[in-house]
Amino acid sequence: MRDTPRYRRLLDLRLGGGRRSAAEMDLEIESHLAMRVADLVRQGMTPDEARAAALARFGDFDTARTRLHAAARQRDNALRHRDRLGALAADLRYTARQARRTPGFIAAVVITLALGIGANTAMFSIVDRLLFRAPPLLRHPSLVHRVYLADTYRGRTLYDEYVPYARYVDFTASTTTFSRLAQADEVGMAIGRGADTREMPVGIVSASFFGFFDAPPALGRYYTAAEDRPPNGTPVAVLSYGLWQTRYGGAPNVLGSSLQIGATTYDIIGVAPRGFVGLWPGSPPAAFIPIAAYAPEVSAGMLGRSDRWWTTYSFTWATVIAERRPNVSVAAANADLSRAYVRSYRAAMATIPGMQPLAVDRPRGLVASILSERGPNESSTAKVATWITGVAVVVWLIACANVANLLLARALRRRREIAVRLALGVSRARLASQLATESIAFALGGGVLGVAIAQWGGALLRSQFLSSSARPAVATDARTLLCAGAAALLAGLLAGLAPIAQTRRLDLADHLKAGVREGTYQRSRLRIGLLVFQGALSVVLLVGAGLFVRSLRRVNDVPLGFHASHVLAVELAMRGASLDSAQNVALRRRLLDAATSTPDVVSATRQLAVPFTSHWALRLYVSGIDSIARLGQFEMNAVSSGYFTTMGTRILSGRALTDADRDGAPRAMVVSQSMARTLWPGRDPLGQCVRIQADTVPCTYVVGVAENIKQRALDNDPGLSYYVPAAQFHPDAGGLFVRTRGSANDAETAIRRQLQRVMPGASYVVVFPLSDVLDEATRSWRLGATMFAAFGSLALVLAAIGLYSVVAYDVAQRTHELGVRAALGARMADLARLVVREALELTVIGVAIGLGLALIAARWVAPLLFQESPRDPWVFGLVAVVLLAVAALASFMPAQRAARADPMRALRSD
Amino acid sequence: MDDGLPLLKGTLDLLILKTLSWGPMHGYAIATWLEDRSNGALGVDDSALYQALQRMEGRGWLSAEWGTTEHNRRARYYKLTASGRRRLRDESAVWTRYTTSVTTILALASRTA
Repeated sequence: MRDTPRYRRLLDLRLGGGRRSAAEMDLEIESHLAMRVADLVRQGMTPDEARAAALARFGDFDTARTRLHAAARQRDNALRHRDRLGALAADLRYTARQARRTPGFIAAVVITLALGIGANTAMFSIVDRLLFRAPPLLRHPSLVHRVYLADTYRGRTLYDEYVPYARYVDFTASTTTFSRLAQADEVGMAIGRGADTREMPVGIVSASFFGFFDAPPALGRYYTAAEDRPPNGTPVAVLSYGLWQTRYGGAPNVLGSSLQIGATTYDIIGVAPRGFVGLWPGSPPAAFIPIAAYAPEVSAGMLGRSDRWWTTYSFTWATVIAERRPNVSVAAANADLSRAYVRSYRAAMATIPGMQPLAVDRPRGLVASILSERGPNESSTAKVATWITGVAVVVWLIACANVANLLLARALRRRREIAVRLALGVSRARLASQLATESIAFALGGGVLGVAIAQWGGALLRSQFLSSSARPAVATDARTLLCAGAAALLAGLLAGLAPIAQTRRLDLADHLKAGVREGTYQRSRLRIGLLVFQGALSVVLLVGAGLFVRSLRRVNDVPLGFHASHVLAVELAMRGASLDSAQNVALRRRLLDAATSTPDVVSATRQLAVPFTSHWALRLYVSGIDSIARLGQFEMNAVSSGYFTTMGTRILSGRALTDADRDGAPRAMVVSQSMARTLWPGRDPLGQCVRIQADTVPCTYVVGVAENIKQRALDNDPGLSYYVPAAQFHPDAGGLFVRTRGSANDAETAIRRQLQRVMPGASYVVVFPLSDVLDEATRSWRLGATMFAAFGSLALVLAAIGLYSVVAYDVAQRTHELGVRAALGARMADLARLVVREALELTVIGVAIGLGLALIAARWVAPLLFQESPRDPWVFGLVAVVLLAVAALASFMPAQRAARADPMRALRSD
Repeated sequence: MDDGLPLLKGTLDLLILKTLSWGPMHGYAIATWLEDRSNGALGVDDSALYQALQRMEGRGWLSAEWGTTEHNRRARYYKLTASGRRRLRDESAVWTRYTTSVTTILALASRTA
C-alpha cells in the first residue's frame, strides 16, 4: 500500500485544511501535556504544579502553540502536494502498464491524434504568417497600416495599394493624422558584377521607411531624406544583415565599398540589423536603396517626354505605409486620407486629360492591415488557406471523436475491472482523474508526434502557400508550438470526457455479478453519436474535395486562346549597357534570329506583354465613339510575324501580321473578336481605322480578327486585346516568345545559353516557361483541390478506422447473441448481413447529416469555386457512394468474424 | 532544562530519526527517550521537538497516525518512512565524519597549546 495516496487530505483542502491542521495540533499538544503531567504527578508534584511545569517546557506556551499551528499547516500543505504528485505518478505508471499491455491500441490512439494535431499545427504555422503576424521589429505594429486607394470604375469599387510617388508626396504634405508615412516596394534586381551576379530582392524604400522600425543599424547608418530627394537622389545602399554575412563575411570595412545593383553602382553606408526584413518576411530584401536613386532607372522609357517621375500621376508603382498617431481613430485617419486623396485627384485631373470626374470616381483613401493578405484585396490564396484551416480543424474533430470512441470501447471492456476498483473503495473522482491523466498522456504523445509530422510532412503544405524563404520552422516557433500544445490538450480533454462520463453511470452491482451476460450488451448512445458525427464530417470534407477537384478540371479546361505548353517567355534585363533606340532594335532582331536558328525551336516571335504578367494599355480613338476608355480596357501587344503560330492563337478572319508590316508600311493591327464586337457591333471590323495614342496620328487599319485570349483572369476576362507589328510600335522594347519542339523545360537552358551570347555587356536574358504564369493564376484552385483531397482522404481513413474498431468491438461483445442466433439456425451470410446492415444504417444517418451540412456551407464556398455549383449533384452522389462503400468494407471484415462464430463455444463461454 | 546542553543545529533531526529507528513513538515518548538516553544532558525544548516533527513529516521522512498508548490515551505516533531511513543512514555517516574530524583537530590544538 506504499503508493496509496491519502484521499482524506485531498478532501481536507475543500474543508478549510488550515483549521483542521491547527485542531489536530492542539489535540497532539494536549495529549503530550497529559502524559507529562501524569509522569510528574507520579514523581510527587501536585497536579497544578505538574501542569505548570509541563507548560513551561514549551517556553512561552502561547507563542509555541501559534508556531506549532503554523508548522502543522505547512506540513499538511506539503503532504497534499506530495500526494498529488504521487497520485499523478501512480496514474502515469498505470497508463504505462496499460500501454505495454495493448501497444496496438495505444498506437492507434496516438497516431490518430498526431494526424489531427499535425494537420492543425502545419496549417496554423501558415495562416499565422499569412494573416496574423506583423513584420518583425515594427515600433508600433498596431498603429502601422498599409494605405489603399478606392476608386469607382464602371460601378465597381476597386482598391489599389500602388500609389504614384507624387501622390505619396501629396499625402505627406496634406494629411495630419499620421506621425509618419513612407513609400516602399520590393523588386528583384541583379546584384553584383560579372560572374557573381545574382538576382535578389531589393527594398526600394523612402528614407522615412526606417523610422517605422525599432531597428538601429548593425553598422553605419540609414540614408537620410536629403539622399532620397528627386530627381536623382544619392546612390547609397543599406545591406541586409544576411547579405553582409554571406557576401562580405561580416567584415566591418564594408562601409564605403561599392556594390552594383541593377544598372547603378551604390555606396554601402550601413548594414541593417539581424532580422530586419522591411515589409517582406516572405522574401527578405538583400539590400535597401532610396526611391530617388532607383526611380530614374525604372521610369526611363515608361514616361511621356514631358513627365517627371516625381511629379507625374500616371506612373504608379509602390505601396504607401502610414503610422497613425496614437490618439487618432481608424475612422478619423480614413477621413483625413480621403480628403488628401480628393485633393491629389484634383491635382492629377489638371495634368491628365480624360480622367473620370470626381463624382464618378468617388476617390477614397483607407488604412488597412499592414499584411496585404488582410487588406481589401485579399488574395484567393489567403481565402483558401483560411478554408483549409477550417478543414484541418474538422480533421482534428474527427480524430478526437475517433479517439473518444476507442477509449470508450476500452472503458466498456474494462467495466468489470472498474467496478471492482470502485467496490474496493477507490473513489470515482480518483478514477476520473486517472482516466484524464491517461487521455492527456495520449494527447501529449500525439502532440509530440504531431509536431514532428507538421515539421517534416508539413513542408509540402508550406511550399504550396508560402515562398521558399518564408517557410517557418514549426518545432522552434513558440506560437506554433503553443497552438500544437493547445490542440493536443484540448483533444485529450475532449476524448477523455467520454469515458469519464461513462464511469459516472456505472452500476456497481450489475457488473460485479459474476458474468454479465454479453447478451445484455447495449450500444452506448454516445458512441453511436460519435460515429455518426465522424461520418458526417468526413462527408463534408469529401464534398469539398470533390468540388475543388471539379473546379480544377474546369480551370484546366478553360480555353485560353493560346497554348502555353511548349512556350518559353524571354525577357531582357538590360544592365550597364545603355543602348540607343536603333541598337535596341538591332539587338532584338539578333535575338529573334538566334532563337529561330536554335535546333529545338519551332517558331519564335517578339512580344511586349506576357498574359497574366504585364499589360499595356494605350489611348485609342475610333471615329463615332466618344470615349473608348468607358468601353473597357484594351490590352496591346506588339508582336512579329511568328506570333500567332507560336502562341497557337487562331486568326478568325482577315490575315495575321506579316514581315511586310514593317516600319514605314501602312500601320496594321489584328483585334480580338470581343474587341471587334465591342467597337464595331454588327459591322465588318476589317479595314476599320483606329488611331493609337492621339487622335491626330495616321490610321492603323484592322487587317485581321483573332480569337479571344485570357490576359488578366481565367473567368470573366473581357478578352479585349489587339496586336500591332513590333516593327511599327515600340520596336526597341519587349522580349520574345519561343515555341519548342519538345518540353519547354528541357529546352530552357539551351535557349538561354543561345540567346545570352547575343546580349551585350552585363545584361542578361530571363527565360521561363509560359505555363509558370498560368500555374500562378490557377494556384488557388490547385491548392484547394490538393488540400481538400488530402485532408478529405485523411478524414475518410480516420472514419473508416473508427467504424471498423467500433463494429469489431460490438461483434466481440455480441459473441453470445450471435452464437445463439447461429444455434437457432441463422446462416453465416445472415449473421454477416446483420452486422453490416447495422453499420450501414449508422453511416446513412451520418451521410445524410453531412450532405445537409455541405449544402448549408455551399453558400460560403461558392466564391472559391470555378464555374462549379457548390451543390453539384454528381459530387454529392459520389461522396455518398464512396462513404457507404467504405463503411461496408470496414464493417464487413469484423462481420465475417461474427459469421464464423462457433455456436457451441459462444454458448459455453460463461 | 536550563542545565541541559544546547543542541547544535541540525542534530535534533538526526536524534529524532535515530530514536524512531527503534520503532514508532509518540512525541512525548521521543522527548523522554532522548532525555533518558543522554542522562538528561540533552535538553530538548518541547516546542522545538514538535516543530521538527511536523517539518520532517512534511518532507516525507516520517509518517504519523493516531493511536492509543498503554495507558489508553490517544496520541499521535510517528514512524520512519523508507526515505526517513535513508536520511538517517546518510546523516549519521556525515555526523560521524564531522565529529571525528573536529575531535581530531581539537586534540591537535591541545597538544601545541
